[in-house]
Amino acid sequence: MSVPTDYDLSLRDVLKFFPPSTTAVKDVSLDVGPGTFTVLLGLSGSGKSTLLRLLNGLHTPTEGEVRVLGTDVAQAGRSELRRLRRDIGMVFQQFHLVGSMSTLENVCTGALGSLRGPRVGLFSYPKSVRQRALEQLERVGLADHRFQRADTLSGGQQQRVAVARALVQRPRILLADEPVASLDPESSNQVMSLIARIAREDSLTVVCSLHQVELALQWGDRVFGLRHGELVLDDSSCNITHERAMSIYGNSAVLPAAAGAGAAATSGAAL
Amino acid sequence: MAVQTDERPQTTPTPDAGSGAGTAAASSDGRTLPKPSPRGITVAVVLGLFLAGGIWSVIDLRINFASLMDSWANTQNFMGRALPLDFPAWDELLRGTLTTLSIVLLATLLAVLISIPCALMAARTTCRSAALRTSSRVFIVIMRAIPELILALFFLRIYGFGAGAIAGILALGLHSVGMLGKMYADAIEDHDDGPRQAQETAGAKRIQQIFGSVMPGITPAVIAHALHRFDINLRASVILGWVGVAGLGADLRAAQGVGNYPRLLALGLIVLLLCILVEIISGRLRMKLLGRAEPSRFGVLWAWQKLRSRWSGERLETRPSLGSRTIPPWDGARIARFSHIGLTLALILASVVYIEWSALLALLASWTDADVSSWEVFTGEFHVAAFFTGLVDLPEESQRWFPPHDGDIQSTIFAQILVTIQIALAATFLGALLALPVGALAARNVAPRPGLAQFFRMVIVVTRGVPELILALLLIIIMGLGAVAGTLALALGAMGLLSKLVADSIEDTDVRIQDALVTGGAGRAQVFFAATMRQSAPAVVSHVLYQLDVNFRSATLLGIVGAGGIGYQLEMARRTLQWEVVTYILICVVAVVLLIEAVSVFMRRLMR
Ligand SMILES: Nc1ncnc2c1ncn2[C@@H]1O[C@H](COP(=O)(O)OP(=O)(O)OP(=O)(O)O)[C@@H](O)[C@H]1O
Ligand SMILES: [Mg+2]
Repeated sequence: MSVPTDYDLSLRDVLKFFPPSTTAVKDVSLDVGPGTFTVLLGLSGSGKSTLLRLLNGLHTPTEGEVRVLGTDVAQAGRSELRRLRRDIGMVFQQFHLVGSMSTLENVCTGALGSLRGPRVGLFSYPKSVRQRALEQLERVGLADHRFQRADTLSGGQQQRVAVARALVQRPRILLADEPVASLDPESSNQVMSLIARIAREDSLTVVCSLHQVELALQWGDRVFGLRHGELVLDDSSCNITHERAMSIYGNSAVLPAAAGAGAAATSGAAL
Repeated sequence: MAVQTDERPQTTPTPDAGSGAGTAAASSDGRTLPKPSPRGITVAVVLGLFLAGGIWSVIDLRINFASLMDSWANTQNFMGRALPLDFPAWDELLRGTLTTLSIVLLATLLAVLISIPCALMAARTTCRSAALRTSSRVFIVIMRAIPELILALFFLRIYGFGAGAIAGILALGLHSVGMLGKMYADAIEDHDDGPRQAQETAGAKRIQQIFGSVMPGITPAVIAHALHRFDINLRASVILGWVGVAGLGADLRAAQGVGNYPRLLALGLIVLLLCILVEIISGRLRMKLLGRAEPSRFGVLWAWQKLRSRWSGERLETRPSLGSRTIPPWDGARIARFSHIGLTLALILASVVYIEWSALLALLASWTDADVSSWEVFTGEFHVAAFFTGLVDLPEESQRWFPPHDGDIQSTIFAQILVTIQIALAATFLGALLALPVGALAARNVAPRPGLAQFFRMVIVVTRGVPELILALLLIIIMGLGAVAGTLALALGAMGLLSKLVADSIEDTDVRIQDALVTGGAGRAQVFFAATMRQSAPAVVSHVLYQLDVNFRSATLLGIVGAGGIGYQLEMARRTLQWEVVTYILICVVAVVLLIEAVSVFMRRLMR
């Protein structure tokens, strides 16, 4: 199943259809080489999350082929998918920490994929895993909070814990779905620079969806633009001006009408 | 996931505009009252039927002022015979209390242990297979529909009458799955699924996800619901004493059997105190677990805190240097947490030992005393062992219960089922009738004076604290055996719960609407009927239907102590060893319970 390629991620004519009538991703082809920091831009509903979930096999493509680290995600069996997912860390907009657990234990859960059997409590994780988790917490600057309940941390801190949890997997790819959308500008910058620094240090391939064009151009090596599930922009960030990036949102002056018409067409098809 | 697009709402006006034009055309004939909708008519008809049923039941069961006045004389007479109270010797009392508490604790534990896997299989987020989910839900509903009384009869048959404890544990434990399983499944589905998804993306297996995120997430709810169920099981376990489950219930029954009223009343008082004590403790724990700052103002706990009215401040935490520790240091919070776990385990262990201890004592008694007939089951066996040997008898015993047979008293059974339904209807009707004013006056935003709200809240606290069984026993002595005593006992219980719910839902209503009307010059009563009642009506109706369901089950149970209805028939069938008849009655009862449940689900859907 696994064939060596130059790309960490490669999508061929991928289409994802959700019954009854939503085509969330349409005819997307792209390749991402190792160590690239890529940013996905697009309006709400343009298919960013769906694309990210296609990459770690949470969704299977309706058509086309998704290859991650040389593995065809749709063809992978259960254990192969599990192994693949261990190589892909993911960070979410809503952090998704277990609120009643300590910070350190939350980070430890990132290693579940490489452990056998269920775990309850910090004691149940091997010392080596706990040590590794602590190292990652130190990296994100939260080692002092290791025994604090996760739901008592601030939003920015929670997202940094979530990053540490993803890193405990020792991933090769890091997916981030709007990691800073629920944070204030200050924490946003902190989290983004943290992700960028770690990506550089660990030479991770990053795919990060964002809402803010400024952040995208600041941190991304490469920018993809999605509109109604189609890839409308694919270029290195140094070639992209702010205006060009804004164009993927459609002409901003007619934006609401255009979006309304698009949605009306969709619902019309449903009727 | 936030998949809803922002532009969605703009698309909806199109169909709406069409229907809007339609209504505009229809209303051009000058109507000022809307055409009644089929939905509204159905709701009205069903509610009307229930109301009529309630009134008819009250009349048919001969609950009226004349009979109430008659009993007043009896009350004085009874009090003369029941006083002074006669408390049993303290060791006897302690034995009964500990047995009851052990049974209830182990039954609740058993229920939790069965309910968690059931709930995991019933919840959408943890179980992919629709077939498994449905079968788990069906199992839960059936456990809820089978009365604990009949389960107790069955297990007492298998384990013999000396084994009152294990039969009680199994009966209460299995029946509780009907409530806990559903609540746990709902807790899982309501709980944020994000952490589980995050672990799934990290390659965790399903079982790892369950222990790693689902269980830690719902643990507070699991314990809180279990504590609530402990309260309920305590009350039910006392009633099960009438069929042979050990504990305080058995002592009460003995006192009732020989007409020893001073003893009966004393034991009733003990049961009452025990219930209140347990409610205080479990209420306290539940409040902490669910992170509520204030106790429900309708629980005993509220009254308790009112009396104490002291609040301990939060302790300041010192943060020691952590170094490279990966296991938390023993700070105050951790010690407290572990001591809670330790205490719980110790209590469970103590209950197990205590239950087996009485078996040991029984064994000893059988050696010293030649007459061992009543302890046959034990012959040196422990309960756990008896449980497993009992399993061997299960198929053979089950055969005695099949096929169901009406025992040639089909008409009596149906008549008694009808009486039970009448008791439930009448009790719910009377309870609701009392609860509406009491609940409304206990609501702070309706009561004319805060002092009045406070007074009515106290009334609610007291009526809720008294176990229905104790009320029923008192009323039976005063008014004689029969449905009237049962109905009034259940009506008072229903009043307690319903008025709390009424007051709660009135206080939850949107105050702005009330304010808007007051600003418009409406009077207090106008505001109450136009705004407050209108808003809380759906919630109140669904609570009343739920109460009907609860009352039917309780009426079935109370029948066994002589409070009228099908319970008595069950007792007769038990005495004459007609187990097929018990099965027949079981089927009838389950059918009625499922019917009531179906109606209330249907109504809730209509009123949403
Ligand atoms: N599981 C699903 N079932 C059905 N439709 C879905 C599902 N997931 C996504 N969709 C649809 O696919 C489309 C794209 O959704 P997606 O979540 O990928 O957008 P997005 O770009 O991430 O938006 P946002 O910025 O709001 O997160 C939407 O129309 C959404 O309704
Ligand atoms: Mg998204």
